[in-house]
Amino acid sequence: MAKTQPFSAQVRQTGKAVTIDLHGEVDSFASDRLHEAYAEVEQFNPPVILLDFSDVSYINSTGIALIVGLLAQARKLQRKVYVYGLSDHFITIFQITRLAEFMSIYPNEDSALADAAAFG
Amino acid sequence: MAILQELASFTGPDWEQVGAVTLPVIERLHQAEAKMAEKWERLAEFTIANAPGNERRAMQQVVNYLRGLPISTSLFERIKTAVAETTMNAMEHGNEYSTENPVELQVLTSEDSVMIRVTDHGGGKSLPEYVQPDIEAKLEGLQSPRGWGLFLVQSMVDELRVQTDQTHRIVELIFRLEG
Repeated sequence: MAKTQPFSAQVRQTGKAVTIDLHGEVDSFASDRLHEAYAEVEQFNPPVILLDFSDVSYINSTGIALIVGLLAQARKLQRKVYVYGLSDHFITIFQITRLAEFMSIYPNEDSALADAAAFG
Repeated sequence: MAILQELASFTGPDWEQVGAVTLPVIERLHQAEAKMAEKWERLAEFTIANAPGNERRAMQQVVNYLRGLPISTSLFERIKTAVAETTMNAMEHGNEYSTENPVELQVLTSEDSVMIRVTDHGGGKSLPEYVQPDIEAKLEGLQSPRGWGLFLVQSMVDELRVQTDQTHRIVELIFRLEG
């Protein structure tokens, strides 16, 4: 049996932005917790949402759909979504799905926060 | 045309057709293709029960069987994504999460390639119509956020082959080994 890493997510405010730290596997099992986390983010009414993928071990097509849904919700309220901590393979996936055209990708939290501070 | 000429010479000029004429066509594999087909060596085969999340087991088992081959990290990642998505599709659409008929996987190698063959029991069933994912339409709510699976598979493989019969659907994922 493959070792699995159940999904979890923590929300924290970081300056103008609110960060969702994602952990484990982003697939259908992540749906409920990711929706809860996004609802927590909304309470801060942030102009920028950061998604931290540093501890994500797996994402599949259902996980991509969840990220698309989150991005769609954020865009309706004119919020920017930044992403950091993507592995090379995840960057490839974000590029071929064209998610990278709608979410700025950063190598780390500092660079994402620097741009978030300059926004709005 | 050749087969129609043969039919005419067989029946002669005065024949009368009283029913439908069935003309079975047997295609022979080109000799070179047959030779190519023989080059595949089966490394392993195993089955995966139909259950959400089990695609990760398929993915990990394939990786375990391929260890030792000259496969880069990036190629391994492409293989993992393609195998996981194809297995998910086989469990969900092909086998409809049946408690019988698990998904069958074979790992094959040739001199310069790796093939993962995924077989389900979706032969003869109509599959959901494939819609090319459109990120703008998805963000505007005009297209479901889902529907990335086949697109991902196509983006990961060097070659994709699909065969079906009345019982089975066989998907072959082919990756060229680098260097």
